[in-house]
Amino acid sequence: MNLRDLQQDAGLIVTGAPQMGQDAAVPGGTEATLLLISKQGEIYAFSGKVEYGQGIRNGLALAIADELDTPIASVRVILGDTGLVPYDRGTTGSASTRTIGLQLRRAAATARRTLLALASERWGVPLAGLGIREGRIVQAGEPGRSLSFVEALQGRRLTVSIPEDAALKSPGEFQVMGRDAHRIDALARVTGQAKYSRDIAVPGMLHGKVLRPPSYGARLARLEKARAERVPGFVALVQEGDFVGVVAESEEGAEQAVASVYARWDEEREHPSDWDLPVQLKERAKELAVVRETGSLEAGFAQADRVISGLYFVPYVANAPMEPSAAVASWEDGGLTVWSGDRSPFGVRAQMAQAFGLGEERVRVIASEIGGSFGTKGAGGAAYEAARLAKAAGRPVRVAYSRQEEFIWGTVRPTALIEIRSGVKADGTIVAWEYTAYHANESEFRGMRGSDTPYSIPNVRVTVARTESPLRSGSYRSLGGAVNHFAREVHMDEIAAALERDPVELRLANLEHPRLRRVLTQAADKFGWGAPRRGLSVGRGVAIGYDAGSFLAECVELRVEGREVKVERVTAAFDGGLVLNPEGVRNQVEGSIVMGMGTALWETVEFGGGRPLNPSFSRYRVPRITDAPQIEVLLVGDPETPSTGAGEPGIVPIAAAISNAVYDATGVRIPELPIVPHLP
Amino acid sequence: MRLLVNGASYEVAVHPERTLLSVLRQELDLTGTKYGCGEGNCGACTVLVDGEATRACITPVVTAAGREVTTIEGLAKGETLHPVQAAFVEHTAFQCAYCTPGFIMSAVALLGRNARPSESDIRSALSGNICRCGAYVRILRAVKTAAEQLAQAEGKA
Ligand code: FES
Ligand code: FES
Repeated sequence: MNLRDLQQDAGLIVTGAPQMGQDAAVPGGTEATLLLISKQGEIYAFSGKVEYGQGIRNGLALAIADELDTPIASVRVILGDTGLVPYDRGTTGSASTRTIGLQLRRAAATARRTLLALASERWGVPLAGLGIREGRIVQAGEPGRSLSFVEALQGRRLTVSIPEDAALKSPGEFQVMGRDAHRIDALARVTGQAKYSRDIAVPGMLHGKVLRPPSYGARLARLEKARAERVPGFVALVQEGDFVGVVAESEEGAEQAVASVYARWDEEREHPSDWDLPVQLKERAKELAVVRETGSLEAGFAQADRVISGLYFVPYVANAPMEPSAAVASWEDGGLTVWSGDRSPFGVRAQMAQAFGLGEERVRVIASEIGGSFGTKGAGGAAYEAARLAKAAGRPVRVAYSRQEEFIWGTVRPTALIEIRSGVKADGTIVAWEYTAYHANESEFRGMRGSDTPYSIPNVRVTVARTESPLRSGSYRSLGGAVNHFAREVHMDEIAAALERDPVELRLANLEHPRLRRVLTQAADKFGWGAPRRGLSVGRGVAIGYDAGSFLAECVELRVEGREVKVERVTAAFDGGLVLNPEGVRNQVEGSIVMGMGTALWETVEFGGGRPLNPSFSRYRVPRITDAPQIEVLLVGDPETPSTGAGEPGIVPIAAAISNAVYDATGVRIPELPIVPHLP
Repeated sequence: MRLLVNGASYEVAVHPERTLLSVLRQELDLTGTKYGCGEGNCGACTVLVDGEATRACITPVVTAAGREVTTIEGLAKGETLHPVQAAFVEHTAFQCAYCTPGFIMSAVALLGRNARPSESDIRSALSGNICRCGAYVRILRAVKTAAEQLAQAEGKA
């Protein structure tokens, strides 16, 4: 399938900027085909986003079906194929539905207006009485009269651009948005038909495997390949500098061949270990960025009756999506096609074009279904390796990472050390707040997210430093947001404990933000915060959060038994504005809570000697179904407020709420993650 | 060696120590069964061998020869989903769904030997499967629904 053929066969094409507010500086320009109706009446929508579990295909299809009042079965959403879809910067969880969804709704609304105008002309009646029902244009008071979209187009081929004033339905007019519905891709997923990156096979395809160095930064000193060449099914060995890969007829052949290569590596001598981190983070800090400075800390602390200090540490954690990275690459007539499970197909295209000295139009990247990302799979590692090997072998090649490769060569959430000093009056009013965070990061932005305090404090200074990262750090649900929230919301609890105040009440006393007040009150009410304690080893904890434009609060009840923590129930109140897909939002918030439980209780990447030491699910403990608490998600957003992110915010309060509940149960404050190894 | 998969019989010429997962995916093109860890830790590769939940990634193909293998592709009867599949759809018991085939197969095996599982039976039968997207509360709900439906159908029969 290519775009030109689809356009040739179209009756109506709607063009516009790929995203709301996109500027002309973006590759691909401001006008792109966003939606078209074929001569057969199928509706195609195009987006550069990818599906990694957030349900974007479903969300977009619902939105288009609703704006066009047409059955969802006639809508096909094409995602992440650089040969078909408009340019996109890459999918980062929470922003997708907001930006793309809105623009595709406008495209559908434009198609609607065009179709109605055609019908009004044809029937010689005013536009006002016309509407669409079940994909057919109808006229009020004329029950016998209707036109399909194809009939309305009468064989024409129209191209219209989205006008400034494209009128969208109001929430009250939604037919399918805002209601619970099964995901449109559910059938393929429960029958094993959905194709993920490592399920893609093309004719003549071989299998590639890369020889991994024993530690980060190691240089290849010597290579002997004779034994590898004798492995049955061996096809080729590629050596380019420190890159060594083999190609074989089967996956096992490639594994065996790579294991048969003899290589000697020169390794770096000095490698930090996870034990050195807390000290290193501060010592090696680069520039401090001031996120906020309000009032005067000196004056604030002078007014305070108590000064409370805390130090918080969060280790590296692994994204560990269930599907390890994979890609297939195929060269034909000097052009490259890549099927990849990366979350940024256009990023991969640019990377390939640059690496092989090709024009971008010679590279096509097609996104497969993606078996989870949570922020990793952005770098195109497997794609690049497959393309190199395919070029050398002269045949298509698939590279599929093992679990261990994914743990070691995927990215991890950066570690951080955070210092907080607060000044509090005896009545519980916080008058000074000094927050200094050291995030292991290449990019400052990641560490800044969520670092500012949402409480109403007159004297505040928030600074964030980035510092060297010994591991390949990358994005992870909400980036530094979850890390900063952990420190701040544990500290809020320490203030409450120091003043012997109720943690919910103390937060409310310092909180003016109306949306945060609402989520906190509603979560606490529904949870039964005031109810009597259920037992000695049972604890309750609370935390609030903001992320990706949304606000939420989470209350946790858990039981500490010896050296295990059993989270029993979680109540979350989530305000993401208007909710277009309630089931989807609840699903994302629940998933974020479960993932965050792992980071709170068990997860940590141990490393030393230049590599992770626990790259396996037997040594890296993730949440399992036996750990799953009862979770209740209340959607409390105001439908008049625009939709905001739902994929990430759920994770930001949970680790603090759990730590606070452990304190409530045991009297022991654990300001360092993960909690379980630090239990007394 | 002869393999019986989803009711069909295949003659395959493969090394007997090769994993069942590799043979299903590469030789029979049944890619619904997933690789998640290759060491028996995640359950993504779960299939039924004579009705029993089996980790295909650590099962030498020879041990499955001549026995009845069922994969996710063989669960539905024509257009009719197996009640566990239908319940996963109904409760959207997934996000990326990479883990879904493995969870469904583990649940089918459980319901095959225990038609009225308690919640803790379900949890322990699925404890070897990982869902990194964290859809566990939905998976629990789906398996309970499927169990009720199977029990009802049994009651009628
Ligand atoms: S792939 Fe078999 S248990 Fe993980
Ligand atoms: S739904 Fe993604 S791993 Fe379970």
